[in-house]
Amino acid sequence: MESTARLDEIRRAVEHAAHHLPAQGPIDVFIHHNTLHAFEAEPFEEAVVRAGRLLGTEPFLPESRYREELARGRIREADVEAVLAADMSCPAETAVAGGRVLLRDLYRALLLHAVREESDASVRWTLTESDVVERLRPDLPAAVHRRLMAASPADGPADERSVSSDLWHACVEAVAVMRSTVTRAATPVRHRDLLLAVDPTLDTDALVHPFLIRVCAAFLDQGVATWAMPGRERGLWPAVAELYAGRLGPREPWSKRLPAALRAAAGLPAHEYVARELDHLGVPPEHREAFITQSLLALRGWAGMIRQFEERPDRAPVAAVPARLMDFLALRLVCDRVAVEWAARHAGLRGPAANGTLAGLWWELRDRHPPRPTTGSVCRAFRLHQVAQLVGLTSHDIRALDENELLRLEHAIAGFDATTRRRLFHLAYERRHRIEILDALEAHAAVARPPAGPPPDAQWIFCIDERCESFRRHVEELGDGHETLGTAGFFAVPMYYRGLDDWHAAPLCPIVMRPSRTVVEVPRDEAVSRHEFRRSLRRRYGQLAGSLSAGSRTLFRGGLFTPIVGALAAIPLVARVAFPRLAARIGRTAAALAGRRIPTRLDLERSSEPGLVAGTLSGFDVDEMAGMVRRVLEDTGLTARLSRVVAVIGHGSSSRNNPHESAYDCGACGGGRGGPNARAFALMANDPRVRARLAVDGLVIRPTTWFLGGMLDTCATTLTWYDTDTVPAEHRAAVDEVRAAAERVAAADAQERCRRFETARLDITPAAARAHVEARSVDLAQVRPELGHATNAVCVVGRRWRTRGLFLDRRAFLVSYDPTTDEDGAILTRTLAAVGPVGAGINLEYYFSVIDRLGYGSGTKLPHNITGLIGVMDGHASDLRTGLPWQMVEIHEPVRLLVVIDASPERILAAAARVPAVERMVVNRWIQLVAWDPDGAGLHVFEAGRFVPYQGERRIQPVVERSIDWYRGHREHLPPARILAALGDHAREVRA
Amino acid sequence: MTSHDIVAALVVCQLAAPAATLVLVGLPALAGRALSEQATARIVGAGFAAGFLAALSVLGLLATRGFTPEIVHSGTWFAVGHHEATVNLVADALSVPYVCFSTGLCWLVNSFAGKYLHREPGFTRFFILLALFGTGMNLMVLSDSIDVLFAGWEFVGISSALLIGFFFERRNAIAAALRAYTTYRICDVGLLAAGVLIHRAVGAGDFERLFGAQWPHSTCLVSAGTATAVSLLLVFAALGKTAQVPFSGWLPKAMEGPTPSSAIFYGALSIHAGAYVLLRCEALLDAAPLARAALVVIGVGSALHASLVGRVQTDLKSMLAYASMTQASLILVEIGLGWRVIPLVHVVGHAILRSLQILRSPSALHDRHELEAALGGHPDLGSWSPLSWLPARAQAAVYRIALERGFEEMAVTRGVVGPALRLLERMAAAERAWVAWLGERPGRQEGSRS
Repeated sequence: MESTARLDEIRRAVEHAAHHLPAQGPIDVFIHHNTLHAFEAEPFEEAVVRAGRLLGTEPFLPESRYREELARGRIREADVEAVLAADMSCPAETAVAGGRVLLRDLYRALLLHAVREESDASVRWTLTESDVVERLRPDLPAAVHRRLMAASPADGPADERSVSSDLWHACVEAVAVMRSTVTRAATPVRHRDLLLAVDPTLDTDALVHPFLIRVCAAFLDQGVATWAMPGRERGLWPAVAELYAGRLGPREPWSKRLPAALRAAAGLPAHEYVARELDHLGVPPEHREAFITQSLLALRGWAGMIRQFEERPDRAPVAAVPARLMDFLALRLVCDRVAVEWAARHAGLRGPAANGTLAGLWWELRDRHPPRPTTGSVCRAFRLHQVAQLVGLTSHDIRALDENELLRLEHAIAGFDATTRRRLFHLAYERRHRIEILDALEAHAAVARPPAGPPPDAQWIFCIDERCESFRRHVEELGDGHETLGTAGFFAVPMYYRGLDDWHAAPLCPIVMRPSRTVVEVPRDEAVSRHEFRRSLRRRYGQLAGSLSAGSRTLFRGGLFTPIVGALAAIPLVARVAFPRLAARIGRTAAALAGRRIPTRLDLERSSEPGLVAGTLSGFDVDEMAGMVRRVLEDTGLTARLSRVVAVIGHGSSSRNNPHESAYDCGACGGGRGGPNARAFALMANDPRVRARLAVDGLVIRPTTWFLGGMLDTCATTLTWYDTDTVPAEHRAAVDEVRAAAERVAAADAQERCRRFETARLDITPAAARAHVEARSVDLAQVRPELGHATNAVCVVGRRWRTRGLFLDRRAFLVSYDPTTDEDGAILTRTLAAVGPVGAGINLEYYFSVIDRLGYGSGTKLPHNITGLIGVMDGHASDLRTGLPWQMVEIHEPVRLLVVIDASPERILAAAARVPAVERMVVNRWIQLVAWDPDGAGLHVFEAGRFVPYQGERRIQPVVERSIDWYRGHREHLPPARILAALGDHAREVRA
Repeated sequence: MTSHDIVAALVVCQLAAPAATLVLVGLPALAGRALSEQATARIVGAGFAAGFLAALSVLGLLATRGFTPEIVHSGTWFAVGHHEATVNLVADALSVPYVCFSTGLCWLVNSFAGKYLHREPGFTRFFILLALFGTGMNLMVLSDSIDVLFAGWEFVGISSALLIGFFFERRNAIAAALRAYTTYRICDVGLLAAGVLIHRAVGAGDFERLFGAQWPHSTCLVSAGTATAVSLLLVFAALGKTAQVPFSGWLPKAMEGPTPSSAIFYGALSIHAGAYVLLRCEALLDAAPLARAALVVIGVGSALHASLVGRVQTDLKSMLAYASMTQASLILVEIGLGWRVIPLVHVVGHAILRSLQILRSPSALHDRHELEAALGGHPDLGSWSPLSWLPARAQAAVYRIALERGFEEMAVTRGVVGPALRLLERMAAAERAWVAWLGERPGRQEGSRS
C-alpha cells in the first residue's frame, strides 16, 4: 500500500502536466483557443521560449524567414533599431571590445547581416573550398568598409585580400589565447530519450506508440468501429490490462513480458500502479514531475484527448467513455518499462537490478549521455572574423584586446543567440504591422465624421468576425444610406438550439457560457403533416443509406451488394469529381422537390414544459427577451437613429470533405452557426411586447423599424434570410431593397475573397467569383474551401464611423462600441469579457499553427485520416493531430492581435482589471493593446506595463475610389487605404 | 488502312498517351524546370483522356465484330538464344473494357488531384507517378505475353510504393512504403517464375501459345502439370497486390499517401491487379483444380480475416482498407470457383464504390451528422454477428485478435523479418570481421596511414 502523501504528489504532478497537453476537444465542434493557454501567466516572449523547450516546438518563425521579410521591406531597419532601443537586455552605453564597439551596434549588425553558424567541419570545408577569408563581406556598409581598408597592414598594399587575411590571422591568434567554454546540454529524464542518445536505432517510443495508439483509439472511438472495445465502460486501464493480460497469441519481441507485467498489476488502481512503476523505473524523486510530464507529452494528442473526455464528458459526440489521464499514464509506464528492459537487453546495457528496478540503468544512461559538442576553434575564429568586419574591428583592434576583453566580446556574440535574434526580429515584424495600422487610423481621423441627420435606410449588424469586414465595407460603399455594426455573433442570445432537421439540441453561444434555455425550430402549422411525411421519408432514406454504407464494408452484405449496385456509384463519383457545382445543385433541387423547404418558425416563447436539454427551460420570457435586445443595442451604441430595416446577420461556413469544417464556423457561437441566433434576435426585437418593455426603460424602437434575421455562409458567400414571408406589408418594400442590395454586395465580397485564391483569376468578374466560391464549398477535392480566419491581425473596438472608409483587408475584428454612451465603463467591461478571449484565442491559435506547423499545427491536410470521429491522424497510425492544418494558415502573418479600443487609457485599464482573463493577456502581452482617444486622434500603446503616446511615421495614406481599385491585381496582404465610396456624401469634401 | 491497323493504332495509343505525358511532365522536372501545376495536371489528364477515348473507340469497333480478339505485334523486346520476349498487345472482351474502366478512373482521380494537391511540394512528383501507374496498368491489361505483363505489373508496384512514401519526411510513410514494396517484391517472384516456366514450356511468353479461343471461353494449350505449376505461381504473385493473408499487413499502412492515390490504388485498381492477371489466365486455372482450390481457401480465409479485423478498426482509412481486402478476397474466391463475368463485374463495382468512399473519407463527420439527423439519433452500426453468441471472455479474446490484426504482423515480424534481419546482421558482422582482419595484416598499415 502506498502512502497517501505520495499518491497525492503523483496526482498533483499529473494534474500539473495535464495543463501542457493540447486542449482540443472532439473535432466535430472546433473551438479556437490559445494553444499555449497554460502559459498565459508568463510574459509572451518568455512563455513561447519556455514552451518551446518543454514541448520541443519553435518559439518564432525561422530566422531565414525574418531575413526574407527584411530583404523585401516588410521589416525595415528602423524597426530593428527601435526594438533594440526598447530591449532591456542591451543598455545604450554598454560597450565591448575595449570600448571600441557599442553592444547595441554589435546586436544591430548581427540582426541586419546574417553570420552563418556552422559546425567545425563545414567551416573547414568553406575555408578550403572558397576564398571567404581572403575578401571582405560584400554586405558591409560603406563607412565600415572604408574603416577596415584604412587600417590595412602597413607593409603591404591596401587591397581587400590582405586586409581580410590579416584580420583572419588576428582572429585565429585571438582564439588561440582564449579558453574555450564548455556548455552542458540539459539531460533528458525519460529512459527512451536517454537510450536514444546512446543508440539512435533504439527508439522505444516507436515500439510502444503503435500499441498505445491502437488501444486509445479503440477506447475513445465514437462509432467508426462496429465492435466497441469490451469492458471500456470500466476505463482504459482496467479494460486494456484485462484484454492484454491473456497468454494467447504471439507478440512482438519487445512486448513478450507485457502480459506478465499486466497480470502482476491486476486489480491495482491506476494511481497506485503509477507509483509502483515510478519506483520500478528508478527515476529519482526530484525528476519525477518532469518524468511524468515528458511521458504524457510523448503522445500528447491522445493523452490530451483522454484529458478532454475526462474533463468534459458532456462534449463527447456519442459515448462519454470514462477516460482518466491516470489510466493512460499507468498504461504508458508499464509499456515503457517493458520496452526499456527489452531495449537494454538488446543493446547489452545493464538490465534490472537484483531488486528488479531500473535505477542502475537510468544512472548509467545519464552518465553516458553525450555532452553538447563545443564550438571548435576554427568555428570561433571564423565567427569572430565575420563579426569583426561587421562592426568595423580591424586586425589592430583585435590584437589590442586582452583575453578578458576577447572573452567578453565572444560571450556577447554567443549570447545574442538565434532565439534572441528571432525574438527581436519578431518584435520588429509586429512593429511594422502596428505602425501601418496605427498610422492609418491616425490619419483617418482627419476624414472620419460621425453620422448626423436622419437615420439611414438600413443598418446591418454583423458578427465581429474579420471575414465580415469586407462585406461590411462593400455595404458601406453603397452610400450613406447604409451603416454597419458588429457584435459577438451569438447576438446575446445564449441557447441550446435544435433545428428542424437536427436530432439534438446544440449550444449556440461562446464556450465559456452554458445556456440555460432551449429553443426549437418547428414547422409552421400548415406544414406539420408535410414535415411528418418528409421526416419519415428521411428516416427511411437514412436507414437505407446507413445500412448500404455499412453493408458495403461487410463480408456477406458487401459481397452481394457490391457487384450488383457498386457500378451505380459511378454516377455520384463522376458527378462529384468532375462537376462538383452541378452535382451540388442537382442534389439541392432534388432535396427541394422532396419537400426540403418546409416553412418553419422558432419556438421562442417560454412554456411550462422543461427544455429539451436537461436542466434548461424552454424558450424565453418577455423580460429576458427585452434584456437580450437591450444588450445588443447598447453594446453597439444603436440606441437611437434606428433605420427602417435593421438586418441582423450571423455566419457559418459549409464545406465538403473537411474534417475541420467546424473551425470555420462562428467562434462566438462555440463553433456553431450563428443564423438561428440572428433569427431569434430579430424575432424578439420585432415583438411588440418586447418593444413595450424596452420603452418603459426609455429605449424606444419605433413601429417603423423592422429587424430582419439572416445568415452569411462565409464559404459560399450566400445569404439566407429568415421569416421573410411574415414581414408586414408596410416593411416589405424596404426589406426587399435590403435583400437586393445584399445580393450585389455578396458578389463584390466574393470577388474580393477570390483575390486570395491562386486558382481564381485576378480579373475575375463578380458573377464568376460567386460561382467560384460556391464551387469551392461543395467540391470534394478542395482542401481550401475558404481561408477561415487566416490573416487576422487587428481588432478595433469602437464606433464604426471612426474606421468607416478604411480598407482593412479582411484582417480586422470590428466590434461596435460607443464610449459616449458608456458612462461607467460597464459596457466596455462586458464587451472585453466576451470579445477578448474569443478574438485572442483565434489569433493565437493561428499564430502558433503558423510558427510551428507540425508542433503546434496539424501539418498538411492531405494524409489526414479521421479516427474515432474525434480527430485526425496522419496516415494510419500517428498521434492525434491538434491545431490547424497548414492549408488553413499558410497565408497567415503571425502577429499578436492588435486591439485598438476607442476609449481613454484609464477606462481601458479599469475595464481590463475587472476581467482577469483579459488583464492577464494584456499585462503579459499576449495581445497588443492600444487606446484610441475618443475625443481626438491620439493613440496610446500599452508598453511595459503602461500606456505611452504613439509616435507614428505619419506617412501619407493611399486614397482610392472603391475597394476594388485597391485590391485588383493583388494577392498579397495590402496595407490600409482610404475608400472614398464608403465615406458617402462626405467623401466629396475629402476629394475637394 | 484496314480495320486491324486502326485497332492496332488505337491500342498503341492507349499505351502511348499516358506514357507520353510521363515524358512531357517528367523531362522538364528532371531538368529542374517543373511545369506549372495547371500544365502538369492538364497534360497528364489529357493523356488519360486520350487513352480513354481510344479504348472506347476500340470497344465500339470490337463490339461490332462480336469481340473477336485483335492481337497487335509491336516487335521483339529482347531475345536470348531462341527465347524471345515479344511485345504483343491484345484487344479483346477482357482487356478493352478493363482499359476503359481503369483509364477512366485515372482520369477522374487526375482531375481530383489537380485541386487536392494544389501548392503541395510534391505536386509534379504525384502526377509523374500517376502517369507511370496509368501506363503500367494499361501495359499490364493490354499485354498478350507474360513479359509485357510483368513489365506493367512492376510499374504498378513501384508507383504504388513511391506514392505510399509520398510524404517522405515522415518516418511512418517510408516504413509503410518499404513494407509494401518488400511484399510486392516477394510475390513478384511468383510472376517471374511463372514467366520462366512459360518460356520453358512453350518457348515464348506469348499467351497465344498458352491458350486458344477468345476470352471468356479460352482453352488451355499446355499440359495439366504445366498449367498447375504456372497457376500456382500466378496465385502466389496475386497474393501480394491483393493483400491476402499472410501478405495483408501492408494494406492498412499503405494509407499513408495522399487520399486520391489511396483511392485509386487500394480502393480501385492496384488491389485488383492480381485478380486481373488470374482472369487473363483463366484457361490455365481451368486446367489446374489444385490452384483453384488454393485460391478459394486463401480467399475465404482472407475474407474472414479482413471482415473480422475490419470490424474493430477505428480510423476511416484502415476500415476502408479492410473493407477493400474483404471484397478483393471474395473476388479471388469467385475466380477460384471458375466464374468469369461475376468477378469482373465485382471488380468494377467494387472499384468504383470503394474509390468514391475513400475519396470522400474526410467527409465522415459530415455524413455522420446527416445520418444522425435523418435517423433522429445515433445510428446503431453494430450489426448482428455470430460472435455475440460467444461467452464474454471468448468475445474479449476474439476482440483482441481482431485489434491485433490477427497477429499476422507479429507472426511475419518474428517468423520472417526477424530471422532475415538476423541473418543479414550476421553477414554484416562477418564482413566487418573480414575487413578488420585484412586491415590488420602487416604491410597494409603503411598504406592505410597515408
